[in-house]
Amino acid sequence: MGAGAQNGQGGLPDIRSIERFLYREARLLDERRWSEWLALFAEDGVYWAPLTHDQPDWIDHASLFHEDALMRQVRARRLEEKRAWSQQPPTHTARIVGNVHFDEEARWPGPGPGQGPEPRIVVRSTFHVMEWRHDTKRLLGGFYTYHLLPEGESFRIALKRVDLIDREGAHEMLEVFL
Amino acid sequence: MTTPNDLPLQDLVHHDKVHRSVYTDPHIFDLEMERIFGRAWIYVGHESQIPEPGDYHEALLGQQSVLMVRASDGRVHVLFNRCPHKGAKLATLPCGKLGKVIRCPFHGWNFAHDGRLASVPVRKGYEGTAFDESDPDFSIRRVPRTGSYRGFVFASLAEDGPDLETFLGGIRTSLDNFCDRAPDGEVEVAGGVFRVWQNSNWKIFLENLNDTSHPMVTHESAINAARDGHSDAEGGMPFRLHIIAGNGEPYVFWDELEMVAFDRGHSYMGAIFTPPKDPVSLAHIAALEAVHGPEKTREILSVQRHNSVIYPSCSPHSSFQQLRVIRPVAVDRTLVEIYTFRLKGAPPEVFQRAVVYANVVNSPSSNVMPDDIEVYARCQEGLKGDGGDWVSLHRDAGRDRFEDGRYVANGLSELPMRNQYRAWARYMSGEDA
Repeated sequence: MGAGAQNGQGGLPDIRSIERFLYREARLLDERRWSEWLALFAEDGVYWAPLTHDQPDWIDHASLFHEDALMRQVRARRLEEKRAWSQQPPTHTARIVGNVHFDEEARWPGPGPGQGPEPRIVVRSTFHVMEWRHDTKRLLGGFYTYHLLPEGESFRIALKRVDLIDREGAHEMLEVFL
Repeated sequence: MTTPNDLPLQDLVHHDKVHRSVYTDPHIFDLEMERIFGRAWIYVGHESQIPEPGDYHEALLGQQSVLMVRASDGRVHVLFNRCPHKGAKLATLPCGKLGKVIRCPFHGWNFAHDGRLASVPVRKGYEGTAFDESDPDFSIRRVPRTGSYRGFVFASLAEDGPDLETFLGGIRTSLDNFCDRAPDGEVEVAGGVFRVWQNSNWKIFLENLNDTSHPMVTHESAINAARDGHSDAEGGMPFRLHIIAGNGEPYVFWDELEMVAFDRGHSYMGAIFTPPKDPVSLAHIAALEAVHGPEKTREILSVQRHNSVIYPSCSPHSSFQQLRVIRPVAVDRTLVEIYTFRLKGAPPEVFQRAVVYANVVNSPSSNVMPDDIEVYARCQEGLKGDGGDWVSLHRDAGRDRFEDGRYVANGLSELPMRNQYRAWARYMSGEDA
């Protein structure tokens, strides 16, 4: 088991509680409720989309997204700026999250909160995001991996990792959070 | 030669304006591929991408797929990506390993790394035919000319013309400074490559690279988002915000920047994100001083440039080790590849800062780039209409000064665009710019 994958500690939560959390997160993104989405993250949580299939970390390699709280806030603020030209019209998304399961093998990919001793739950799912803006509709897809920290009845996100299946391909702009 | 709208080619480009058809006419795009991308030295890749014999990197020379291959003797060859037998592409990954020979996946013809035919199966079937393994028609065709400048490999589809150093001229100094910033004097590609689509003509992007009057307007959303609650005073802003917010400097800041152009369409502008005296910069300075001493180190780091343009195919950013490569795909579609480089001998955090710069500025998820891409596409759409025939290049026209073999102007001048069209017109008339 890799560092940080500590699903065994104190037993796993009901998978239904995980699904409820992920579906709510998906809805917040699809409804562009950025501030509520930002609040789902732990203070030092990371939003990460690797650029390659075998990318070991986000320090010595470029990423499609690598955002801490500061950079997530910048993105959320920019998307709502009145002169965000590329958001005229805005991006609309609808996503499906499925195949939700615990992933004992998932590894924490870099320095940060994942090094700590706190119990964490590692969850993997498959997603499709249908995205539409202006005259273009596109389908993005891949896998989500979450490192979740239990907090009361819910969770906080220590890591949201997005592995796009075409991450090594040529891309149009990726403006909204996936 | 006349264009479909019946304006002779030479009348499309004036010293201070260009006709919209140069961005929208597919016929002109085809001519550009033949007369500009078919003649000029085009960036292929960096030697560090093919360290071992048999390693390859695929690139586009205009519309031509080529392979940069490392041979067993260490030499670098640039070959057309086509088997001479039936025409199959020999390699399809952006980079990879060919092995001891280049083997066609269709009928198993084998070639040496320099393209020469090594073997064909069932040789006796060719006995008594016109097949001749010493005839170049039965080997992988080599691109007529290949050259390397400090590890940066360029190729030309033309049999003759100026050599690579002559072609680069004064813009060599940008590649020199790119490498001189490495304590070992060499750089290597590392950390992955971004590939980003632009739904616009390739020249719109090239013109934007030294366009100093767009950042504060185009990037207003990102500037506001980065500045919110963060002051850039005394270098207090985190690097990743600084390189966004810096686009919002006032016009007077941009007008004071160095703006320099050379023959053949090349140009550069002065740096806009000067790193503060942060621990990363200090560690870099210490590593350079250990090799060169303080005086030479100051000299190297006194060269502070933002984008350079090596017309028509690439744009190095020497201060933060980025190289953007322009691959025109259609009159209204352009692929841009963005490479990050490691300065050999520099502390790891210098490369890690280059990775942050790549993520923030050059990733498809950049908060800065989407507004660029959006306005490029709006130009491409707008230029299709009959709302006007000319695109203005008038800012500070007639005030470019020629000094010491280079053209200089104030920072807000549209000198780089006028300079690019001077080269464009020469290439398109069949000259070597």
